[in-house]
Amino acid sequence: MNFLNPQHFPIFAIMLYFLGAFLIVLFGKNRAARNCIAFLATGLALTLMILLVKPIMIDGGIIAYWMGSRVPAGGYAIGIALEVDALGLFFGLLIATAVFVSCLYSFSYMSEDDNEPQYYTLFLMLCGGVMGLVLSGDLFNMFIMVEILTFAAVALTAFRNRVTGALEAAFKYLVVGCIGSTCILAGTIILYQQAHTLNLAQLATIIPLCKGTNVSIAFALLFIGFCTKAFIVPFHPLAADAHGAAPAPVSVLISGVLTKSGIYGIIRLAYFLFQTMNLGTMQFWLVFLGSVSMFVCVTMALAQHDFKRLLAFHSISQIGYVLTAIGLATALGASAGLYHAMNHTLFKGLLFLTAGAVLHETGTTDLGKLGGLSKKMPHTTVLFLIGAASISGIPPFNGFASKWLIYQAAYEKAAETGNIGFAFVTIVALVTSTLTLASFVKVTQSVFFGQLPKECENAKEVSFGMRFAMGILAVLCTVTGLFPNLVQTYLTGPAAKTLFHVTRYINAMLGEGYAESAMGASAPEAATRTIEIVGVWNPVNWLALLMIALLAICIVAIASKYDAVRENKSEKVEAKYSLFYGGEDTVFSQVGGGDLFWGFKHNWRHYFSFMHDLHSGIVNDYSLWAVIALALAMVYALIVL
Amino acid sequence: MILDALKTLIYVLIFPGFLFCFLTGLLLAGIDRKLVARMQKRVGPPILQPFYDFFKLCGKQTIVPAAANKTVFLVAPLLGLAALVVLQLFIPVFQFQIPAFANVADLIVILYLLLIPAVSIILGGASTGSPYAGIGLSREMVTVLACELPLVLVLLSVGRSVGVAIGAKEGITFSLSTIVRYQLESGSLICKASLIPAAIAFLLVIPGETGNHPFDAAEAETEICEGMLAEYSGAPLGVYKLSHAIKMLTMTSLFVMLFFGGIGTGIGNLVALIGLTGGAAAAVTMLLDVLVLFVLCVIVTAVGISFVHAVTARLKIEQIFKYYWTVVSALALLSLVLVWYGL
Repeated sequence: MNFLNPQHFPIFAIMLYFLGAFLIVLFGKNRAARNCIAFLATGLALTLMILLVKPIMIDGGIIAYWMGSRVPAGGYAIGIALEVDALGLFFGLLIATAVFVSCLYSFSYMSEDDNEPQYYTLFLMLCGGVMGLVLSGDLFNMFIMVEILTFAAVALTAFRNRVTGALEAAFKYLVVGCIGSTCILAGTIILYQQAHTLNLAQLATIIPLCKGTNVSIAFALLFIGFCTKAFIVPFHPLAADAHGAAPAPVSVLISGVLTKSGIYGIIRLAYFLFQTMNLGTMQFWLVFLGSVSMFVCVTMALAQHDFKRLLAFHSISQIGYVLTAIGLATALGASAGLYHAMNHTLFKGLLFLTAGAVLHETGTTDLGKLGGLSKKMPHTTVLFLIGAASISGIPPFNGFASKWLIYQAAYEKAAETGNIGFAFVTIVALVTSTLTLASFVKVTQSVFFGQLPKECENAKEVSFGMRFAMGILAVLCTVTGLFPNLVQTYLTGPAAKTLFHVTRYINAMLGEGYAESAMGASAPEAATRTIEIVGVWNPVNWLALLMIALLAICIVAIASKYDAVRENKSEKVEAKYSLFYGGEDTVFSQVGGGDLFWGFKHNWRHYFSFMHDLHSGIVNDYSLWAVIALALAMVYALIVL
Repeated sequence: MILDALKTLIYVLIFPGFLFCFLTGLLLAGIDRKLVARMQKRVGPPILQPFYDFFKLCGKQTIVPAAANKTVFLVAPLLGLAALVVLQLFIPVFQFQIPAFANVADLIVILYLLLIPAVSIILGGASTGSPYAGIGLSREMVTVLACELPLVLVLLSVGRSVGVAIGAKEGITFSLSTIVRYQLESGSLICKASLIPAAIAFLLVIPGETGNHPFDAAEAETEICEGMLAEYSGAPLGVYKLSHAIKMLTMTSLFVMLFFGGIGTGIGNLVALIGLTGGAAAAVTMLLDVLVLFVLCVIVTAVGISFVHAVTARLKIEQIFKYYWTVVSALALLSLVLVWYGL
């Protein structure tokens, strides 16, 4: 057996994580061994994923891997299979990157916690679960992986169980997460009963042909199941609680990796298994859910006064963008959505890590108790600003590049279908971006600028290891923003293309010509959609121009004695250098915290008080929401499918 | 190659870049002050007053507060200015468009590039830790939010309207140069009935975007001591004042190019009649175009900024937000719906 054959890479990647988890249980008592195992497992998995880029993304191959060489016999796929196409690999790459960076960060961040071996075990279980989910070619294995990742995530949420609310958050997540998992299991069972197979490729040949009540119900069940994993509205309160309690590197996994598994599931479901995305009603469903998530969560974030909870709501708001773009079912939309999914992993990871750094140094993430950290933690501040600019869609960072494509995709869709609803989606997306900026201005002012409270005076810059991990993500945020064309050519383009080539996916698994013979005339044709971009945006040229202008202005400024600054040199602050208080004595007066934008909130006070009452924090309510969402999804699926 | 680099340098530094922005921006600000004064029956400062102010501020020492983050405090004004100057490069002057820059940024990008100066002033103010700056930046951000919705609606209406008119395959366009070229051929967009509400909405957005009276809650001198500028002195303060003046130029010229584009001077033909050809004709045409643009900018400033300034009192921040998200947005939305249903 040739281990260097790319055929084996996917299974190795999954195995590495699980193997690492078990080895840490065995040898994890020793710190060096533990770190070494975790580093090797995550690093090698990332390497394997990168090595797969050439055969899959660039050459356009699909890896179909049958465990124990149980290849399909008699037209039925019995064995367990992995199937890695460009879409799966794209998500695999995201996951491996986020996991690797998060692991690097954990080395110094978690070093003061007890039970470190258990942490790494659970950490790697979660990673293995998500990796297995996106590379699997089998619906039941997807369910198994969903179970593994859900329970690992629940345990990790409660990992710092002495923190107030950690157990509560984990319990909520457990309850609603289990409702989601149960939905996935129920959907899987119904599909098996219908099609007598669990192989994704074979299901994709059978399910679209047998429309009916069962199939519709199965779709709704699976859809809601994956929605809980992606925390789409109405499952967003769970994410806020979980992120608020979980350690920062785990937040990176939950937001960057776990939500992606939900998005991946929805794509596989809607585009591949049921092939329903050509239905206007199905597009409406996804776009509607996406837009609602986008807007509701950004307003929820504006009302938060905790750094990590705020980030959690933004995370879902950005997932809303992804879902909206995917739901447009155009080549540009799919590509833009995947691009944004990637960027979401990068900037959200970066932001959660900076939040972790702040927590590490000050012991709190309450926006009302922080302030003025930019002088104590200058590097973290710069990294945070990069992340904040990315998520707020400030050019030239990556968030802008992908959001810009999403605006166009939505507006093009509006023009193409003549449906003004998509124009409103564009407006929501555009305004949400600015609302995101507003809430990050709030964080910037409340945490990094403004006045330094006494409690934070001992804060200092975090260790090099943590800054290094954040630095990787910051560089990736900038690079993927500056070279959108490269990203589209080598990563999101091929991945988006697979969404419209279902036949190829089926045939790669079950043999050439299988889809055509099994499905006859209804075999999905390879859509020859091209990406049409109406706008123009050239970040590199813009940056060059900005640099020229900035340089020229700096030269003029220095020549005109801009640098003749007066600074406070003595120990005591002279009156001239202290802040202006209208002649009164200097007092500590930090403007910041949750209510910074009362001018905005005042106008929306009815909406905010409604939302406040709605988010009771009681798990019974959230379970009820889940059940209602499921019921609505079933009714809708029964009507339209 | 070297010639291209040199050309780019001239574009960025002289025209339509830094020097042009500097002169016309400050001149516009001076005219605005004079107009407001005359409308209020005051004599008003000389038109060149903003120049005097700027140079005087540059001669002053800059005092960095002890609590401030020095780097951010000093770099933020420069970054905002540079971003504004670069933004001005993407706004064509009638026929005069720099081909190399036509495919750098479109309307949606410009919408977000406009945020960079606002963000840089917010960062600069925040870095001082002053409570006045804190309140100022809160108001500034809400003003930006308030203007965002109508601006988005206006740009989408224009994009759709022109996209349909030129028969683009996707039915929309976001390219500013396409919009200006379309107006050269088919007349100004203001002549389209469906876009008139959008034009009015844009006109109303201008003072909000530039932070002029009555939408200047963010730097209300009488209550929060200029907000984010409270701790600024010397050259950085001068740079902020300059940025403010240039933003007036940017917004008014964007308005002119979106709705009053068209043949511009129309003097291209006239120049040919006189017998000028080649480079000389192009230069004269461009000069006249710039002149026409400036005159139009002054008119827009007079109507959109000075007049509004002279007759109103400062609004509270929640009133600003409400005004933009209801009245102005409704106007822009009307345009969008009209355009969408082909009226």
